[in-house]
Amino acid sequence: MKFNLLALRPLRAGTVVLATLLIAGWAMRPLEDPAWQAVRAGQPALKLDSLQGALGQGVTVGLLGGFRAIAADFFWIKTNSVWSDYDLPATQTLIKLVTAIDPRPLYFWQNGARMIAYDMPNWRVAEAGGYDVVSTAMQQQIEHEQSAVAIKYLNEAFGYHPDSVQIYLEIGNVYLNRLKDLNSAAEYYHKAALRSDAPYFVARIYAELLRRQGRNAEAYDWLKKLYPTLPKPTPPGLVQPAKNQPSALEIEMAMAPVVLGRIREIEKELKIPEYQRFKP
Amino acid sequence: MTPAALPLAIEIKNLTKDFPLNLRGVKLRAVENLTLSVPEGRVFGLLGPNGSGKSTTIKIILGLLEPTVGECKVFGVPSGRVDSRLNVGYLPEAPYFYRYLSGTELVCFYARICGVPRKRLDERVREVIDWVGLSGAAQRRVGTYSKGMLQRIGLAQALVHDPRLIILDEPTAGVDPVGSAEISELILKLKAQGKTVLITSHLLAQIEDVCDRVAILDRGKLILEGDVNELVGQRDRQALIVDPLSPEQLDELRGWLAARGHALNAVEQPRARLDQLFISRVSRPDKGGQK
Amino acid sequence: MNATTGGVPFSFSRLLIVAGNTFTEAVRQKLFNFLLLLAVGLVASAQFFREFNFGSSELKFISDFGLGAMVFFGSTLTIAATAQLFFSEIENRTALTILAKPIWRTEFIFGKFLGVFAVIGVFCALTTLLLAGLLCSRENSLMALHPDAFPNGRLIHYGDLMVMGVLQWLKFGVLAAITLLIASFSNTNLYTVVMSFFMLVICHLQYLAHDAYAQVASLPLRLLVRMLGYVFPNFQVFNLADQVAIGSGLDAGVVLRVAGYALVYIAVIGGLAVYSFRNREI
Repeated sequence: MKFNLLALRPLRAGTVVLATLLIAGWAMRPLEDPAWQAVRAGQPALKLDSLQGALGQGVTVGLLGGFRAIAADFFWIKTNSVWSDYDLPATQTLIKLVTAIDPRPLYFWQNGARMIAYDMPNWRVAEAGGYDVVSTAMQQQIEHEQSAVAIKYLNEAFGYHPDSVQIYLEIGNVYLNRLKDLNSAAEYYHKAALRSDAPYFVARIYAELLRRQGRNAEAYDWLKKLYPTLPKPTPPGLVQPAKNQPSALEIEMAMAPVVLGRIREIEKELKIPEYQRFKP
Repeated sequence: MTPAALPLAIEIKNLTKDFPLNLRGVKLRAVENLTLSVPEGRVFGLLGPNGSGKSTTIKIILGLLEPTVGECKVFGVPSGRVDSRLNVGYLPEAPYFYRYLSGTELVCFYARICGVPRKRLDERVREVIDWVGLSGAAQRRVGTYSKGMLQRIGLAQALVHDPRLIILDEPTAGVDPVGSAEISELILKLKAQGKTVLITSHLLAQIEDVCDRVAILDRGKLILEGDVNELVGQRDRQALIVDPLSPEQLDELRGWLAARGHALNAVEQPRARLDQLFISRVSRPDKGGQK
Repeated sequence: MNATTGGVPFSFSRLLIVAGNTFTEAVRQKLFNFLLLLAVGLVASAQFFREFNFGSSELKFISDFGLGAMVFFGSTLTIAATAQLFFSEIENRTALTILAKPIWRTEFIFGKFLGVFAVIGVFCALTTLLLAGLLCSRENSLMALHPDAFPNGRLIHYGDLMVMGVLQWLKFGVLAAITLLIASFSNTNLYTVVMSFFMLVICHLQYLAHDAYAQVASLPLRLLVRMLGYVFPNFQVFNLADQVAIGSGLDAGVVLRVAGYALVYIAVIGGLAVYSFRNREI
């Protein structure tokens, strides 16, 4: 039966190929797993249920196949085009779609929220007849509604960027600039300022927000604690070890003299006696 | 010396080759129980109609196909082994080479594959290209070559490593009479150098001119094998070619022959072969710019 | 394969000759011409992003689209070039001539592979350098325009970008080996190309099978899905550095593991291609 064996050769070859691949795949787990964990860690899970309706099968496969970043970019460009047409429903849908596809870039969250909170109220007022026609109460209601949408949206971002300074600031800014809610704005600036990676200005603005609410004592305490942590220029004649020396840019951004100036201002306002004043 | 006493370049014993057509057992038998020997130093013709198993046999000799049953040795080495091809040069039927290489690059490539030493490489490549008469076109891309030139560059690549056995699969197929006469000349030159040549063809006239020995295959089976002279020569007859004789002289000759117990069987006007006439009249084609 | 019993030892130099010829074919058959097209496309799209005032995020867009183009065109080039460079030998019957020489089929197949791998290497190197150049020049001008958007200096990790280029090259290497394996038994170029694209998709999505098997209740089914996960290489591990604009640096150990993963797969799948090609009757 030589011949039958011959005819079966492709089957035998196929079996050998599959078996070898199977063993190779199994044997290479120690190489694959750490890399796969690292890739996984950098890629938040896709919420396919929320996407499948909005996207075709092809795009979904592309997303699963590792083209998420580029798909998100593509839809962001689309978002920009509907945004320039003042198309509110489409813009809002696309903003959410983009971050559902790729929630990793903060840029999408920040700019999406800005479109919702700052641009859309204008569109809605314009559609209702313009600022001359729409009553102030109505305008405020629209602003509140849009701000609520933006804040809810930004809170979702914490799922992917826990404790992100940028997101805290974005929420703080919506309270500050749109809703004029200094108390809530201060709360978010405070959360941001507590993060070690927060830019120096955040802590200063937090103090300003407290002062504008008349909470001078709190602002005073905050700045007194802040000042010693700020990098300062080396006094002339003193040589610091080169290793720990802050950069010139860092010193400039930290604005230690400005902070000290604020402390002095508050001390005057609070009428703090000379001997109790802050000694840097 | 008889063929049996010569050392063998190719030795095929009881070779059968089947191609499975489907899983249920339908097969195509391309070669059946073939036993064949090609002695060294001879020009051996493997003849047969299309589909008779010639190419399959050659592929088995070259190790490109595996025999289903039987064995095939080249210079005593089983043909499945790589070293069986060390001393073999092969010109495939209607060769088609890397179009993007020049003639020199192409031959150089095959020479390096065959392990021609680097210091001899350039010289050897030039030598074989010259030998096949393509020096003038050596720098041209192979893609621009005519059929005859392709055949000649194919021969150059087959010869570049100075093999002892040269296998030519239908070397004159599709080549004009002038080109094929040139190839015949080259084959005879190879023979003069002591090379063994195995040549397949279905153009029998050509084979007859160059081959010492032929085997004829039909539907995968060997139906005839022997020396050309033995097979086609009529040993009990002779032909004399003389100046024209008058009828009286012819009668006289008949009488003379009859007195000695011989008969004059035929009187004919000898004819030149058409291909020879063609070759003598047609100018030699361009050999790629050679002087 | 026993390289010594044949009397002709396995020769790396013969393998390199085949590789060199394959590379020459790719160059002379103008396979690289479309690189020019790709370069024009990349520069044009980078120009296009300026329209949107993305600020420093423009760099993310350039790098995403650049890497996306590299992955997409690189995969296409790998499959098309491998299949074409293999089948040109079969269809033009040049394989017949070369395999009639004293050459191992291992040398032939790995020579073909190495030639294609060099072609893709040139593609990856040029694309990566082009992208790095684009990003660098745009980053310089953005840094001059909005210095405050770059508080910590440059945003782009150029080292990661280079690593990404190398990882993609290795992934294409595995893909080329897969294509060769398919070509070694397939009869047509078209079948090879279609099957290879199919494999490309499977290798990108096989992790879903891994994920799914954990949730399947029945044991035989679970084993089957798990085995399928093992049979196909996981191409997602090569996306280690896909976020060069917002990435946070790479772990050299992990990168080396991925490189090892690719090289082992190239050797194994290449070996299987040789095995399958040895059974092929030319």
